[in-house]
Amino acid sequence: MNTLSSSAAPTAGEYAGDEVSAIVLDPGYATTRAGFAGEDVPKSVCPTFYGYLDNQQPLFGENAVHNPLANLQIKNVWGSDGVVEDWDTASKLWEYAITSRLTGRKPGDPTKNGLNDGNKAEGENGQDMDVEMEDVENQEKPLEESPLLMTEPGWNPTKAREKTIEIAMEEYGVPAFYLQKTGVLAAFASGKASGIVIDVGASHTSVTPVLDGMVLKKGVQKSPLAGNFISSQIRLLFKNTTPEIPLTPHYLVKSKTPVDAGAPPQAVYREFPSGSAPHDSFRVFQEDRVLTEFKESVVEVWPGPQRFHQGPSEEIAKSQPGRPFEMPDGWNQVFTVDRYKAAEGLFDASAAQVDANNPRPKDEHTIPRLVQAAVQQVDADQRPMLLSNIVVTGASTLLYKFTERLQNEINQLYPSTRNKLVAPGSVVERKYAAWIGGSILASLGSFHQLWISKKEYEEHGSNIVEKRCR
Amino acid sequence: MATGRDVRDMLGLAEGAVSKPTAQPKRAAPPKPTAPVRRPQGVAREVAALYGERAPPVAIFEDTKGYRAKRTLGPAKKWVQERFTNGARSDGLVLRHWRRRDEWEVDVRKMKGEEGREINVDVKEEEKEADMPVVPRREFAKYNVEVDVPTFTDEEYEAHLRSESWSREETDYLLQLVKDYSYRWAVIWDRYDFKPSQSSSTQEEQATTDEVALRSLPFQQPTPRTIEDLKSRLYTISAKLMSLRLREMDSEQYQLYTLLSCFDPVTERNRKHLAAALMNRTLDEVKEEEFLLTELQRINMSALRLDAERAELRARLETPVVNTQAAAGINSFTSSAALHQLLTQLFHQERNKKRVPGANGPGQPNRLSISTGVDASGAGTPTQTMPPHLNSARRQSSISHAPGGGGASTPSSTSHLPNAPPRLLSTIDQARFNVSQHERLTSGVSFGTDRLLKMRQAKSNVQTQKIATSLQELGVPELIPVPTQKVAEVFEGLVGKVGRLLDVRKVREKEEGERRILEGMRKVRVGGAEKGEGEGEDGGEGGKRKRSESLGGREEEGVKKVRV
Ligand SMILES: Nc1ncnc2c1ncn2[C@@H]1O[C@H](COP(=O)(O)OP(=O)(O)OP(=O)(O)O)[C@@H](O)[C@H]1O
Ligand SMILES: [Mg+2]
Repeated sequence: MNTLSSSAAPTAGEYAGDEVSAIVLDPGYATTRAGFAGEDVPKSVCPTFYGYLDNQQPLFGENAVHNPLANLQIKNVWGSDGVVEDWDTASKLWEYAITSRLTGRKPGDPTKNGLNDGNKAEGENGQDMDVEMEDVENQEKPLEESPLLMTEPGWNPTKAREKTIEIAMEEYGVPAFYLQKTGVLAAFASGKASGIVIDVGASHTSVTPVLDGMVLKKGVQKSPLAGNFISSQIRLLFKNTTPEIPLTPHYLVKSKTPVDAGAPPQAVYREFPSGSAPHDSFRVFQEDRVLTEFKESVVEVWPGPQRFHQGPSEEIAKSQPGRPFEMPDGWNQVFTVDRYKAAEGLFDASAAQVDANNPRPKDEHTIPRLVQAAVQQVDADQRPMLLSNIVVTGASTLLYKFTERLQNEINQLYPSTRNKLVAPGSVVERKYAAWIGGSILASLGSFHQLWISKKEYEEHGSNIVEKRCR
Repeated sequence: MATGRDVRDMLGLAEGAVSKPTAQPKRAAPPKPTAPVRRPQGVAREVAALYGERAPPVAIFEDTKGYRAKRTLGPAKKWVQERFTNGARSDGLVLRHWRRRDEWEVDVRKMKGEEGREINVDVKEEEKEADMPVVPRREFAKYNVEVDVPTFTDEEYEAHLRSESWSREETDYLLQLVKDYSYRWAVIWDRYDFKPSQSSSTQEEQATTDEVALRSLPFQQPTPRTIEDLKSRLYTISAKLMSLRLREMDSEQYQLYTLLSCFDPVTERNRKHLAAALMNRTLDEVKEEEFLLTELQRINMSALRLDAERAELRARLETPVVNTQAAAGINSFTSSAALHQLLTQLFHQERNKKRVPGANGPGQPNRLSISTGVDASGAGTPTQTMPPHLNSARRQSSISHAPGGGGASTPSSTSHLPNAPPRLLSTIDQARFNVSQHERLTSGVSFGTDRLLKMRQAKSNVQTQKIATSLQELGVPELIPVPTQKVAEVFEGLVGKVGRLLDVRKVREKEEGERRILEGMRKVRVGGAEKGEGEGEDGGEGGKRKRSESLGGREEEGVKKVRV
């Protein structure tokens, strides 16, 4: 057997794949992704939002969160600081994400798959849950077969990391576990070991410098200007238009008749008798769904090189053809200049829509400033190399012309270096880059030695995650 | 090679008893005429007809001939989910992956054989997985690579490695990080977060020796370390340890040693500052730099061109290059290159000589031609009036005679003398009958007027015009009445001189312009001292003028001579 020297990298042709049927779990604010390592798409993508009825087990999965049950609240396990807040639910949610599609459950447990929940009366449901709880005690732990690789944001504090390994080891009973940062994995997914990863997700935008597969912690930047921010910008735009653009989610519309552009909608709305309506948070969640559609089909980033409010940009934008959008209730309109305004705040804080509840975002939270701050924290020798490997990921970067604008902004910041964006063209790769990177990593034979085994966990306690997952 | 017949002979079979091999008639059959006409499937006949003779630009494959995986015969191979440990791990973590059953069995047998136990690997499908043997595997152990970091004993540290600004504890911390992050300095610096442990500092407070006090000193003011501080500390330690441990170093080690001990954090830091500044330039600065660089390149290029032009002109004005070879005689043929040249020249001469008798044979044009005012060739006999180096058309002949002896009167007479044509006219007669001799004649008829007109043309229009005006000044008519050979020669000389004159004028203007620029620069540089400067300028101008006048004078003389 040939040995490797400590100074020479393994040859490029060396492929060291060896799958041990590990599971990769990539929890995000909007969706939680899970799948087997070695596959190229996560098999299981479920919303991180969950339904909550008073005094009941949380309801997971698409079917549960879109079903307008009486008093159904929609909640999220993540806190506003980009760290998991509700650990109990998070652990159940992750388990659901894995077991619902990947490892499966033992037969004869139909109460847990969520399919039968809606049909039952409340009381019944509650009883079932009790029975189930007893079952859980007797049950084998759900993941005793498979090593688990989880992702975490670059700013995850020690406490949260320790909590994560505790859940994995004690609740799921995994034989081996590893935590890796989303930034590193997204870079791996693009075949890069070093680079700057710009991830625009739902709750946070992060910029992560990665060097040889390790995050440069001082350089990690985050800001709340991401998908949710764009959604709130669109809401403000709708509100500030005269007449105000009505935003009615799908579940409230029974039937609709086509109307002319801009005309008031003619639809039959669904009435909920008092007491049977879902919670307000349900409506907000459903509205956000419509807004995501709006983002996908209408919103466009002003490509630059100048900002939208500089020079002739706005005039040029006016001459561009508009894009039509139809609301669930039939209201429709062709959006012209306005469609550029929703995402401008990501790059230019002064261009953001504001009102009393939505103050002007901070300048240092805009993406160009984040990149600048991240680069500033890196050793001067590495900067040009990092700037030539800028990996773009996160579903919000799918906004039309986003990468063009980003390229222009970065070129303006660093005119003298060769700045190259690496933005996978396929939607799946852009959305699930962190998961895909995890899938690659966990299926490598050379990764076997990095797993934290159950034995090691028992010996050293949960703090081992700090030592091993650097 | 044994033929089929030999084999049959050996086997004792009768001739023709065996039916002919089946392959033969197939091969013998005429090639199927369908082959070239075969149309790709799935294309209508009408469409295929449109293809014409050439194949369509898009390759069309028959789907029946597509890729098909090779099928191995026999039942499907069995796979097992092997339980294995990784050689790089010490905790015996058992993972599982799929392997071919036959390979796996070999491994399990080997493993159990080593342990000296009875071999029985007939694991049944129904058997519980937990009972499967665990196979130790080592193929990925080689990826468990650790770097070497310098190690030292406490005594060594005390004696040699102590530092004003580094405590032992922090040094150990640094070494640990270097090990953890494999000398990736950017990462080490990023993660560097040294906090002196409370226990050690209290211990040291209790201790009273100077030594310990010195050691604890840095704890009081923990300064943020730069990446250069870290590097410098490790490199000094490594270098010291090298010099301590190694009695004698080989060249590689010594190189490393000097490299390590040369590390200067200050220079390194400055370099980084510069690198950062270079990166942080604004767009305008970058553009300006780009602009300046292209400008510099342009200036350099034009300066080079100007120099070349000037050099060429000087070369023209100076005395003709003497034929050094001829002057030096046999001494010049010392190098092999020169000898080779001589050889080829002699060879050419020889060949020319041989060609002459052939020229008299039938079908070959005679080398004598009568030119009656109509000059058929561009190259006349060289004339003494013109310096040989000016007329490139004639250079060929003059070179070929150079080694032959300086005193040859006319090339044609020397080279053709031995096999001269039957009758030679005397020079006077030649002039009288207007007979000229040519090396080579171009076919067809041309007019002498055309030739003269062509001489008036220069490469650029401007130059042509200038030549025309000069000729007008000299009183040369546009159409010369009798353009005989002689007139043409004289005219050619005249035009050449006019051209040179014009060149000189151009260069003079250029130089004067340059001088003015230089003067201006000098003025700027000298600044206040105006008096001296004025004098200098006068002197410079005067000298210049004199020179150009003398040049012009010489040219004028030449022209006059020609006119006479
Ligand atoms: N085609 C699209 N164009 C624009 N935005 C989109 C598109 N598809 C999804 N989004 C938005 O992207 C966000 C989800 O992105 P993503 O899945 O990367 O987030 P996440 O990883 O779950 O969240 P986070 O990274 O903040 O934890 C949502 O806000 C959604 O509205
Ligand atoms: Mg994300």
